[in-house]
Formats: sequence, C-alpha cells, structure tokens
Amino acid sequence: MGQFLDRLHYFRYEREPYSDGWGELRGESRHWEHGYRNRWSHDKVVRSTHGVNCTGSCGWMVHVKQGVVTWEIQATDYPRTRSGVPNHEPRGCPRGASYSWYLYSAHRLKYPMVRGRLLKRWRRLRQSLEPVEAWAAMMDDPEGRDYKSVRGRGGFVRAKWDEVLEIVAAANIHTIQHQGPDRIAGFTPIPAMSMVSYASGARYISLLGGAMISFYDWYCDLPAASPQTWGDQTDVCESADWYNSGYIMVFGSNVPQTRTPDAHFLVEARYNGTQVAVVSPDYSEATKFADIWLHPRQGTDGAMAIAMGHVVLREFFLDRQAEYFQDYCCRYTDLPMLVTLRKDGERWIPGRYLRASDFDDALGTPENADWKCVGFDADGSPVVPRGSMGFHWTGEASVERGKWNLEQKTADGRDIELQLTEIEQRDEALDVAFPYFGGIGKEGYPANEQDDVLLRKVPARKLAGKDGDVMVATVFDLLCAHYGLDRGLGGRCAKSYEDDVAYTPAWQEVITGTPADDVIQVARGFAENAEKTRGRSMVIIGSGMNHWFHQDASYRVIINLLMLCGTVGQSGGGFAHYTGQEAVRSEVGWSCLAFALDWQRPPRQVAGTDFYYLHSDQWRYETVKPADLLSPLGDPERHSGTLVDHGTRAKRMGWLPSAPQLDRNPLEVARAAEASGKDPKQYVVDALTSGELGMACEDPDHPDNFPRNLFIWRANLLASSGKGHEYFLKHLLGTPDAIQGADLGETGDEKPEEVTWRDPGPEGKLDLLVTLDFRMSTTALYSDVVLPTASWYEKQDLSTTDMHPFINPFTAAVDPVYESKSDWEIFKALAKKFSELAEGHLGTEKDVVLSPIGHDTPGEMAQAFEVRDWKKGECDLVPGVTGPNISFVERDYRAVHAHYTSLGPLLDTLGDGGSGVEWNMKPETDQLAALNGTVEDGPAKGRPRLDTDIDACETILMLDPVSNGEVSVRAWEELSAATGLSHKHLAAGRENEKFRFRDLQAQPKKAITAPTWTGAMNEEVGYSGFYLNVHEQIPWHTLTGRQHFYLDHPWFRDYGESLALYRPPIDTRTIHDVLGRKSNGNAEIVLSFITPHQKWSIHSTYMDNLMMLTLARGGMILWLSEADAKKAGIRDNDWVECFNANGVAACRAIVSQRINEGMCLMPNAQDKTVNVPGSELSGKRGGIHNSATRVIPKPTQMVGGYAQLSYHFNYYGPVGSERDNTVIVRKMAHVDWMEEPLEPAPENRSEATTAGERS
Amino acid sequence: MLHPARLRNPALLLRALSALLSYPDGELREALPEIVEAIRESRAINRKSKEGLIALADEIARSDKFEAQGRYVELFDLGRRTSLNLFEHIHGDSRKRGPAMIELQKRYGKAGLEQEANLLPDHLPVLLEYLSCCKPGEMRDTLGEISHVVRRLGNTLLQRNSRYAAVMAALLDIGRKKGLDARAPPPPPDDIDGEWEEKPAFAEPDSKLMIMPEKRRA
Repeated sequence: MGQFLDRLHYFRYEREPYSDGWGELRGESRHWEHGYRNRWSHDKVVRSTHGVNCTGSCGWMVHVKQGVVTWEIQATDYPRTRSGVPNHEPRGCPRGASYSWYLYSAHRLKYPMVRGRLLKRWRRLRQSLEPVEAWAAMMDDPEGRDYKSVRGRGGFVRAKWDEVLEIVAAANIHTIQHQGPDRIAGFTPIPAMSMVSYASGARYISLLGGAMISFYDWYCDLPAASPQTWGDQTDVCESADWYNSGYIMVFGSNVPQTRTPDAHFLVEARYNGTQVAVVSPDYSEATKFADIWLHPRQGTDGAMAIAMGHVVLREFFLDRQAEYFQDYCCRYTDLPMLVTLRKDGERWIPGRYLRASDFDDALGTPENADWKCVGFDADGSPVVPRGSMGFHWTGEASVERGKWNLEQKTADGRDIELQLTEIEQRDEALDVAFPYFGGIGKEGYPANEQDDVLLRKVPARKLAGKDGDVMVATVFDLLCAHYGLDRGLGGRCAKSYEDDVAYTPAWQEVITGTPADDVIQVARGFAENAEKTRGRSMVIIGSGMNHWFHQDASYRVIINLLMLCGTVGQSGGGFAHYTGQEAVRSEVGWSCLAFALDWQRPPRQVAGTDFYYLHSDQWRYETVKPADLLSPLGDPERHSGTLVDHGTRAKRMGWLPSAPQLDRNPLEVARAAEASGKDPKQYVVDALTSGELGMACEDPDHPDNFPRNLFIWRANLLASSGKGHEYFLKHLLGTPDAIQGADLGETGDEKPEEVTWRDPGPEGKLDLLVTLDFRMSTTALYSDVVLPTASWYEKQDLSTTDMHPFINPFTAAVDPVYESKSDWEIFKALAKKFSELAEGHLGTEKDVVLSPIGHDTPGEMAQAFEVRDWKKGECDLVPGVTGPNISFVERDYRAVHAHYTSLGPLLDTLGDGGSGVEWNMKPETDQLAALNGTVEDGPAKGRPRLDTDIDACETILMLDPVSNGEVSVRAWEELSAATGLSHKHLAAGRENEKFRFRDLQAQPKKAITAPTWTGAMNEEVGYSGFYLNVHEQIPWHTLTGRQHFYLDHPWFRDYGESLALYRPPIDTRTIHDVLGRKSNGNAEIVLSFITPHQKWSIHSTYMDNLMMLTLARGGMILWLSEADAKKAGIRDNDWVECFNANGVAACRAIVSQRINEGMCLMPNAQDKTVNVPGSELSGKRGGIHNSATRVIPKPTQMVGGYAQLSYHFNYYGPVGSERDNTVIVRKMAHVDWMEEPLEPAPENRSEATTAGERS
Repeated sequence: MLHPARLRNPALLLRALSALLSYPDGELREALPEIVEAIRESRAINRKSKEGLIALADEIARSDKFEAQGRYVELFDLGRRTSLNLFEHIHGDSRKRGPAMIELQKRYGKAGLEQEANLLPDHLPVLLEYLSCCKPGEMRDTLGEISHVVRRLGNTLLQRNSRYAAVMAALLDIGRKKGLDARAPPPPPDDIDGEWEEKPAFAEPDSKLMIMPEKRRA
C-alpha cells in the first residue's frame, strides 16, 4: 500500500522546530497519552522486598493506587559499588516479580481457621468451663483428641481472632502447667529475610521458656565443614566479589537459578577474563558459564577434589615450593602444628594435637595450657605460637591477655618462623595408618578397592614430654602422606598421576568417571592463578554438594584446596557457599530481640535435625549403624548401639541441646530443688547422677516427653523442609501416612541402648499445631489452627543477605488484606491473651534450663582430651564441663505481654554481643528509650517501648554494630583487648552513623564493618569472608586459632575424619524391601534421588503461583534421563510414582537430555496442594519429594564441648541430609484423582477433597 | 409478608443471593427465613431457580453449623477453582488484576458507595450487593458481562455436588443467560497455556512461518 492518502495535500499542521530540529512543537491533541499516564499513575510508591527463603534481598518499588497494589518494579537506587566493580542493580527476578500477586491470590489465607472437630468440642466445653480448664478437659478425654487423626483432611472453619488466640493461649498455659514450658516449640527459618517476623514468635516462645528449633542444620544448608575448619557458621563473599576472581570453580551450585539477581556478576567476571570451571553431574543451567564442564557421578565430587589437592601438593609444595602458598599456610593454617603419633603394633596412628601442657613447663605459657598447640620453630625447637584458643579466654588481668592474634610470635613476644615439614630434621620415617573408604561401593557407584587402612611413610620427630618421649609429625607431613604423595621415603604411594593409588587423578577416574587430565588441568589452572594473584581463586559451592551425608568430608577436601592455595580471606578468592541461612547482618540486635535476651537468659534452643529425628520417630526405622560409618582404625566399643544413642550421649555430655529436656516438668523440678534445702543446681546434679531424674531424650516415646505445642511460621515444615514427611504424619501428627518400611520392632533389628523402646510407636504426639502463613501451604493443611499473616507488602521489617552488603526494609504498601495481621501483631496479641489467661494458673515461676556448652564462650574449653560420660560413671557430672549447663530462670507468666512489648533491663547490666565479643549496651537502651518512648506502667515500667514492628526494627538497628557506628567502634575496642591489636580504624570513619528504619526506606544502606563478622566493607574492599583474619591478624575461633586441616577430637579419629577425605554416598537401605513388592505391571528402575531447587518456585517455599506453574509443567515433576526413561517405558509427561521404604510421591515425568543416567531429579518445595493424584502404591494421595526421604544423623556432627566443635544455635549440629537416598521409579498404570463425592461429615472426607485440588 | 412493590424489585433478590454466598455464621442462619421469603416471592427468577436456592438455604439451616461452615471454607476460602473473587477467574495472578480492581472500586465510588468490609471489590457477594443498588438495566448488563465466569463457577460447583451452584443458576436466570450444564467439561489446561502464550506479532494466522509450540498434552 502506498502512503498517498495518508498525506495532507492542502493543509499543513502547525509545527515549530527547536534544538536544531531534534524537537518539534505541535498543536494537535495529546489526549491519547492519558491512557498510558493513568496506567502508570499511583498514589504512592513504597520500598519493600521479598522475605523468608529468597536469598536475593532485592529492593522493589511497590506502586499503590486507591489502596490496591497495582505494580512493582525493581529498585535501581542502591548505593554505588566501589569503583572497578560493576553495579548491583537492578536486582530482582521473574519469581520476585510474580510474587506480589499472592496478595490477592485465591491461595491467600483470609481468616483465622480452626479444625472444625476441635472447635466444636472447644465451644461445647467453653459453655461451662474457663479456657484453660476447657483445654485440660479436652486433653484428659481420649475422644477429645480425635481431631488429630483428621489432620490434613480438611474440615477447617473460620473463627474470630479472639477465640483462636484463646485456644492457643489456653493450650500453652495447660502445657506449661502440666508438662512444662519446654514441651512448647517453635520453628521458623532464615531470620535474615524478615528479622522482626522471625523475632515475633521466637520472642513469645522464649519468654514462655519454649524451645526454638534451629533450621540451618535441619535444612542441610549448614556446611558443617565451616565450623569444623574455621569455627564460623558460614561466612562468604558478596556476589560482587566474584568479579575480582581470576579463577572460579562452581561446585554443585546452580547460580543462575538460585542466585538469579547475582548471576550477572559471573557473566561480567567472564568478560573480565575469569576462568570458570563448572562441576555438575547434570547439564544444569550453570554449565553455560563453563570454560570447562566437569561432570563427576553425583555425590562423588569429593573424590575429584581430593585428586585436585594431590596435584596442587605435588606441583606447588613438593616439586617446588610456591612462596606465597608456603607463607600463607605457615601463618594462617594448622599445617605447621604438631600431632602426636600413637604406636599400634607395627604401625602408628595419628592422635591428638600436641599441647603446651604436654611439656613440663608448658613451654613458658601455663594459662589454659591444655588449649594451646605447638609447632617447630626454624631452629627445630618446639614453640607455642599465639592465637590458640587458650589465649582467647585468658583472665581479664592475665599477663597473657592481649596475645590472641596471628602474629608470628610466642607469648613472650619472641619472633618465630613455624615449619611446615620436618622431612629434613626427621628422627624417623614411620608407617602411619590412614583409613580409606573409597573401596565401598553400592549400586550405581563403582568402588576403587584398595586396603581399608593405607600405611604411609611420615617423617616424625621425637620430643621429650612431661610423660616421657612422644613421636610427633606436622599436619603438613601427615597431609602429604594421606594424599598419597611420594616424598622419597618409600612405602606405597603414588609415583605419578597415572598410578591408581589413593588419591591420584587416575584413582578418582574409577569413582567419578571424570577424565584424569581434566582434573589435572583444572587443579593446575586454579593454583597457578592463585599463586600469581595472591589468592584470587574461588569456589562457589552449594547444595548439590552440601546435601549429602558426608557433606563435611567433601567440603573439607575442597576447603583444603582453597587453603593450600592461600585463597581464604582474600578478595576474589576463597569459599563461597550459598545455601540457605543468608547472613543476618544484624545478628546481635536481632538475637537480643528474638530470644528475649533482654529479659531472661539463657533461652531454650534445640538442634533441628536431632529434634525432628527424635520426635517424628525416624530413629525407630534406622537402617544405618555406627559400624557402617566407623573407621577401620576406630574403636567400635566406644560407639556401641545405634545413631540415636550417639545423640543421647551427646545431649547428656552437654554437646547438643535437647527439648523437652528432663523427664518431668522443669517447673516442678525447680520447686523440688528449692524445697530440698540444697544448692538448687547441686540438687539437679545429684538427681541426674542418681538416676532419680532422667533426660527426656532417653525415653522420647513416653507421653511425658512429647513435644505438645508446635508453632510454625514463615516455613513449610511439612512439605519443602519436612524430611521424613511420612514419619511426621504418623508419629508427630497421628494422621494416615504412606510409610512402606517397618520399624526396628517389626524387623527385629538391634534396638538402641540408651533409649527406651516402646511398642507400638506413639502416634499424634502434638496436641496443637499452629501455623501462621499467608497461603494455604501443605503445612497449614495439616495444622489445627491456621492464622492468616501479612504478606511482604503488608508489614515493616528488615532484610539482609550474604549476597550484597545492604540492609533493605520491608514496608507496608497496603494494610493486611482480609483479617490477616503481621507476625509481630499476631504474637503480640497472643502474648496479651496468654498473660490474661495465666492469671490464676501461672505466676512467677522458676524454670530449670539445660543448655549445651556454647561456642564462642569461655566454656568451650571444656573437654580437652578424652570423651567421658558421667552417666556411665566415667566422670562426675560437672555442669558446663562434663554435661550441660544448668540454670534457673525466673519467668513471670502474667507479664509475658508486658515483656514482649518492651526492651528488658538485662542489656543495661549484662550487655550482649556476638562471635565471642560482648559489650555494654546501656547507651543504646537509653537512646531507644528516647526514640521509642518508655512504658508508663506495669511490670515493664520505664523500659523502652517495643510496641510496633517499627519499634522492633529500630531496636535491632540501634543495638547492632552493623547499623550503629558507635556500637561498632565499642565492639572493636572490646576485641582489641583480646588481640592486643588496634582494629578501631575499621569503623572509625562511620562512628557517627546510626541507621533508622526510615533511612532505609529512603535508600538501602551499606552495613558497617563489625567484629561480629569476618569481612570488611569499605572503599578498598567488598565483603569477603575471613578477610579480617588474614588482614587484621584476628585468629579464627578454633582450637589453634588457625584454619584447620586436622581435627583431633576422639570421635573424628574414630570415624576416620581427622583429615578430609573422600567418603562415598552411604547405603540408606530403602530399596530392598520395596522393590517389586507391589507391582502395577510396569518396569521398576532404581535411581539416585536428587532434590535441588527449581526455577518455577519462589525459592524453596512457594510453588503454587499460577504464573510460575504456567511457565513450567503446572505441578509436581520428576526429571529423568532418556536412557532410564527408556528402560522403564516412560515417555515425557507420563505420570510416574517415585517411592522407597519411606513413602511415595506421584508426579509427572520430564524426560530430558539434561539428566545423566542413573539419577533422577525432583525439585524440592513442591506442595501437595497442586496437581497431585492418588498413589497406586499407598492408595492415598501421592506425597511430596520428602515422602521418599528420612534423615540420618552423622555422629561427628554431634560432637561438642570442644573448641570450635561446641554448640551454637544454627552453627553446629547434625545436618538433615537426604541425597544419598535412592528411589524406585515406575510408570503409573492408572491415575486416580480421588475426587469422589463429598461424604456427609466434612471431617470424615478423604484427603481427596482437600489436599490436592486440581487448580 | 413483603410489600408488593419490593417484590418486583430484583434488588432484594440480589441481596438474598449475596447473603447466601457469604459465610454461614450465626447471623446468616438467623436471617435465612427472611432470605427464603425474598426468594419465594421474587418475580425475577423461575421456579426451578427458586427451588435450588431454597434447597441451599435449607441445607445451611439444617446442617450442623460446623459442617456448613467447613463446606463453605473448603469451597470458597481455599483454592482457586471455586473462588468467589471474579478476577481470579478473569485475570488469575496476572498484573492486570490490580488495575481491574481499581476500575471496579471507581465504579462503586461513582455510585456513592464506599466499600466497608475488608474484602476485595471483585468478591461476588460484594458485587451483588452493589448491583442491588443499581438501576435494573446496569444490573442486567453487568450480570451478562460476568455470565461466563458465573457459569463456569456454577458448573464446577455442580460437579462437586454443591448446592451453592443454585446461586450461579439464579444469577444466569436473572441475566436471561444460558443456564448451567452439569456435564460441561472443565476448561482444559490447554486454555491456560493458550492464554499465556506469546503470540507472534506479525505472522498471518495460517502462515507456515509461524512456529507454534507443540500443544502440551493434559
């Protein structure tokens, strides 16, 4: 078509050019533009972010018009990044962009809801009884508890807030009175992403004396290797620091998928010339960054990495000595420290670190001499370098105070030069025995058989100790021998990389399937880069490695590589573990608020994996025995019984916390203690020693020892994080389950020694399950009381992440919709109701609290040498030394609300802190009193107010050094007293900065460098973990004060993990009894079961968002390789079942070239509420990925009372691994949606009508 | 006995329908006789519609309170297929939903009505109450506009054997639209995919160059 008729021929529009013709003034109507303008118009724009599980902490600008959220865009006004590094913005991903529609989604929880059967009975009882009596009556009547068996089966009705709160408060009061406060527990994860919401419930529960359950270890996101090596939970670089790296290895971390807003830094790093090696068994999205893609068999990465270590030791330490590596390892690692060798027949076995106390004169440094390690100086004499834990916890006035640092000096100030090796000065080359596990295989996992004890020559020296001569070797010399390197000392070791000897590149090829040449190439490149750049080689690592049973062993192998190459603590280098947690930058302020440390100490806390393992009775089905895990050099006598026995011993010896704690109500115990006339603490010690009083964990299936009330908020415990889902259903909830296996009672297998076995196993331990959420999650579906909470655009809160250094606010763009309220308001209202109802039932009570020996306290110097159990008479029970600390905490139950809503007096007198640094907080509480006002009357009279969520935010910001420069400077000065070095300069420039909540709403702010963290944030450097250890000479919080290659605790020696090594995936024994037992006529194949994050859920919590579902397959899925699909006759999109002894899930298959043969991949966080048909196997609705899992706790992760291996909440403890699991996959013959007509009584309906609506 | 002038007015019937779709709490149960009377006397709907509605009212009145409430929560408070928020069915979780809600709010405002309850403006009982305040013409037009959603909702309720379907049938009846069909197939999942599909901007519908993604099997 021509344009003749478009043109005017007799007229001309009035037009006036300007700016050299680039602009034009026109007279025609512009009315049409209004449509666009209106679309973008708004009444206000507020800054908020997305909470809980997402690691992004991305700022979003939320546009609101007439009280309706209409639009959101990524914030683009972050403070600039340092020069030379790309900017952060825009941050945010499609998942974040689709989040806000939860606000109005049909999945939104709108009203408080209660299980109908419960409410009906409650209302009847309430006609004649007071609330607490009504709950008691319900509990006393077995029929009164019949609501438990219909959990998860619908029957919710709405209730008024006042009524629901009354039920919950009455249940809490009854439980405290009759069973004890420690029978109440709370679970919520990831405080970093909405600290106030976390703190709300935690504060309420802590004030009651209930137990908060840890999540980081339970989620298996805790890299236990980090506390083991560094005495630090996890500390990693911000994503911008990737850009500073010269060589990045990405291990089991799917960066573009799980760190979407940060992935651009990896792209930019590549443009900048960074080499990238990606290690992933499947062709994951991260492989697109790879210069080289290594794909070891899933779960065998450790074998590959140890071979890389072999190459680095050979080429950079033995063939030649790279100067930078030598210097770094001498200063910052335990490689020069000495380990004693014990003679065992003809061979020698590595023992414990040599200590100052092994010498007559303690080498001139007597204070805490058991806790000081020894090395050789250049002249060959043994010396005690500064930095060991013994220097950290000196007395205030001690002459050794101020010497806890990494300077190369002795206590008396003499310069020393520690030696890595004694090969030249050796007295002898001894045959030292090292355990070997690579010979253990299982289906799909080839073994590389060698002797299970490897004898290797180690250069050793003889020293005269106070108890006679002792043979010692440096950790470096042990490490070289362990890695199989030939040093000309003879014996069996690798002459070349081609030798199939542990741990050469050729050796690993048998196990991993990765070509030896690729391994050599990457190891060499990684180390060469580190040598040239002084440590700018990095490993980004994630759950692909961390979720395996031997995660710590594998991680340590990789960390060894990083330490050898001097990368840890260097910008652009080191260990970047990104899985869960997310730095709660404001850790100190947040923990004061969350655990009510301002009113009562210590709080009750419990380790998640241990708690759930015990109380969902997963231990009753345990198939793995200690003997399966022990080193051939370990002593099986010391590790008799089962895994749950290990946990019980650990709790008794003060290693792990427990809840419930004692076998009776702790309020009752406290009363008896006071009445006894003895010192109350001594009373408890005597009663425990005599056996008159027991620990609840010794008989967890006795009704006295059940957890009774559980609160869950900001979490989907029964779906995405409920490992052993079916066991939760059966034992904790008492509702139908799909367990396919049998317990030890039925199999007749060996029962625990320390734990009472009860038949049958209890069902329905929980009396009340309360969930707060803004959507109907699987967890909410199974709860008794569901409380609708505010979503992320309906409340005020704080968010931080380890991915960037900024603190972002949550802001209420609109009021909570329907009847929802913020978490802070809900728990506040509950506290009020509780306080009212407590009157006449509970007053001021004393509570006996047991707490484990804590890391970063002087108490961590507890059990220096042997493991002794007081219960077996091997030692006396000394609280805080050989067993848990015992404290008496006073609680005024009528004042719970008053305490919840005000900041208590303990901060004025005791102060607080973190990471072993404590300081006075009186100036801050005074300032908070001025800022928030004070309480006018009542039990909290005169205290700073904590009424609103903004008050809570201000409290966190004021108390914490990262947001209050004055506090940071004070904290640095405290630390200087221990190190004897001045660190104040790190925060001095920002001393006058104090963040307020509204400052953050204007623009996120970069956190201030604080001693609660190990990185600096300033104009020279971005945040990088352990930067301050290396650059400020601050010791790591470990036994030696250095990074540990060696762990000398007796349990680590017995389990063969003193030195990092490859341990193959364990056999979980979940297939044998199920395979082929209930055939549906289709082929059954056995596959390794991998449960990573996926692209179509909002991190690991939400997969019921219509947008995301529409972009994916719209429901639960399982990825398979083409080869395996063919074997099982499965085509893409077929319905399949995936099952083992633990349970069964029903879902669709995705057949993809992405997946390698032998493995299937089922993304976590898929909810039971969307597109889940019935299972042919169980006859019930198909479960979720966690239906096929069960946790198996690892004994070495229970160790406590010993330097960095001491407990701290979310810092140490057994992890809930699940990837060693295998499953059977088969095509379904018949898909049943179980949507039969409703039966008359709503609560008697099958699950079909409720759990699994086809959306 | 209601005044004859009020009987001819469908407003009262709409209020009754709005009430029937609200949570069956004590207040509603007490008002059931009044609701039933309004239905019985109305001239806006046929006998069959009335019978359905009265059966629903009866069911609510006769059921145990918890049972009736449990049924309601199951249907209307959880999940999206039978959600009473109309835009759930029209816009789903898309970003058009916010502007659509604002438009609707504006419409209420123009009629001099301010929404009081903490409910979304597209909640069907809210809309019905608004329509009860409108002129009959606007009311019928609006019911016509939403009839496809109402029908889909009604069919789903029928398939779930819920008497609440009667309210949807009555609304179609008032709007003089085709009624419910118990055997109507649920909308195939393909429709959702289609709605979300990026359409090629320029290709002719029958062009061979147009690459259509293979339709997914349900």
